[in-house]
Amino acid sequence: MFGKGLIKGLQITWKEFWAPKLTVQYPDEQHTVPERFHGRFVLDVDKCIACGLCANACPNKVISIEKQKVGKKQYMTGYKMKIQYCLFCGLCVESCNKDALHFSKDFNMNQYFYRDIPLVLVEREAPAEPLEEEEPAAKAGDKEKPKPKPKAKAEKPAEPAAQTEVAAGKASDKEGQ
Amino acid sequence: MLRTQEYFLNFGPQHPSTHGVFQIILTLDGERIVKGEPVCGYLHRGIEKLAEARTYTQVIPYTDRMDYLAAMLQNLGYVQAVEKLMGIEVPERAEYLRVISGELSRIASHLIGIGVNALDIGAFTGFLLCFREREKIMDLLEELTGSRMTLSYARIGGVADDAPEGWLDRLKKLMDEMPGYIEEYQGLITGNEIFQARTKFIGILSPETAINYSLSGPTLRGSGVNYDLRKARPYGVYDRFDFEVPLGENGDCFDRFLCRMLEMEQSVRIIQQAVEQIKEVDGPVIGKVPKVLKPPKGEVYHEIESSKGIIGYYVVSDGSNKPYRVHVRRPSFINLGYLDEMVRGYLLADVVAILSSIDIVLGEVDC
Ligand code: SF4
Ligand code: SF4
Repeated sequence: MFGKGLIKGLQITWKEFWAPKLTVQYPDEQHTVPERFHGRFVLDVDKCIACGLCANACPNKVISIEKQKVGKKQYMTGYKMKIQYCLFCGLCVESCNKDALHFSKDFNMNQYFYRDIPLVLVEREAPAEPLEEEEPAAKAGDKEKPKPKPKAKAEKPAEPAAQTEVAAGKASDKEGQ
Repeated sequence: MLRTQEYFLNFGPQHPSTHGVFQIILTLDGERIVKGEPVCGYLHRGIEKLAEARTYTQVIPYTDRMDYLAAMLQNLGYVQAVEKLMGIEVPERAEYLRVISGELSRIASHLIGIGVNALDIGAFTGFLLCFREREKIMDLLEELTGSRMTLSYARIGGVADDAPEGWLDRLKKLMDEMPGYIEEYQGLITGNEIFQARTKFIGILSPETAINYSLSGPTLRGSGVNYDLRKARPYGVYDRFDFEVPLGENGDCFDRFLCRMLEMEQSVRIIQQAVEQIKEVDGPVIGKVPKVLKPPKGEVYHEIESSKGIIGYYVVSDGSNKPYRVHVRRPSFINLGYLDEMVRGYLLADVVAILSSIDIVLGEVDC
């Protein structure tokens, strides 16, 4: 009979009409975010040895690491991500064998101004005194910096990209030798 | 037949039924199509060229961005090509996870395929129900890989990570419910007389032409050609599963649509078998792969059955850590090649039905 299919369709629609609602009223309610979610990056500064493996693994040159020589050791002064170019592929997190770089569950990375987009995970001064001073200084630095603040230092927005990249490249070269 | 003066009409690039930025320059005689010239390239990002400046591993996230609706299958084709080139063994558990995530991607992609096909013809409820189940699949994939669409889950030599705790049980549960959902779509869309009237005997594609134009996927099988790479030339562990290849009869829009619908049932079957078999397989999910991948000089072509058709990767290595050339045979692009002849003689409103029955995704067409 012509129209039988239509009636069956209407029956299904009617049944679904009474089915429990699946829509989540964001932002009042929120979905649970799974453990492996690729959200905003967090860096464990204590663990990071500024080796630059993550920067090299990145397909889009998102990560730039700045470091300075203090005494005989390298001291990381900056870890910045041009997050607008990030593919959230996870290759950087995978490549880190010090377990320092992680994804968090925070998906809220939108910014009002373009200059605020780059994610500054570390930005600190290198200590003047080498070696003995290094440990406590690093600790003090972490206290301020472990939570990655989205307000990416408005006074100095994106550094000239080329410079920082070169710095990262050089650093990793040295590491390799 | 009475003829009027021909005129041309731009269909797209900003048209909701072109599924992206795609243009067809239609020449019309009244409401009949005289000629339809597809214009693509609006979404070209130069992925093949970008791949030349990336290491072998770094290419993987870019393959996601082609057919983003079935990203795992795109990953899979590429990594299998490189594995073939380097002769890398993949652990069995990884193979199963690849099959599972690949088939999940295929179901998700087909759900969009049929849902949007229904939407283009005006059946909005069917479209929403398809998206509801797709969302559940996305959630599962998100738990597995961390991303919803651009998964980047496959790695050269395996997969990125093992399935999390309890994931396989949740997957099994969804797969057990899936046939019920598919029945709902069948009742809502397939059985709908209006949908049938709009798609039956429209855009007929004969088996010979389909083969001559080297079409593939449900577009080819809708014409009754039994050619599915998973059966014809099994790759990975596909030879261990029991499934059928659904075929169409008339090669019209309806058959292509129905092929996708039935293929989902088969994918569900494959996943159910894989979930059973993976329990017996333990071990690593990534094989022994050197840190820096330097395949020997040479070239390789590998193709797999993606959701839209046969996706082939041609990779040339010059012995360095970056591919010398990567070329992708994209099924959406090749299936689109026949569009002109497929729309000729039909009405303007049928163009929408025909285009959505090919199920293209513009990320893949333009690459
Ligand atoms: S790979 Fe890890 S340890 Fe090395 S610089 Fe990156 S985050 Fe730090
Ligand atoms: S997620 Fe991918 S694109 Fe983003 S910083 Fe890490 S490696 Fe680079």
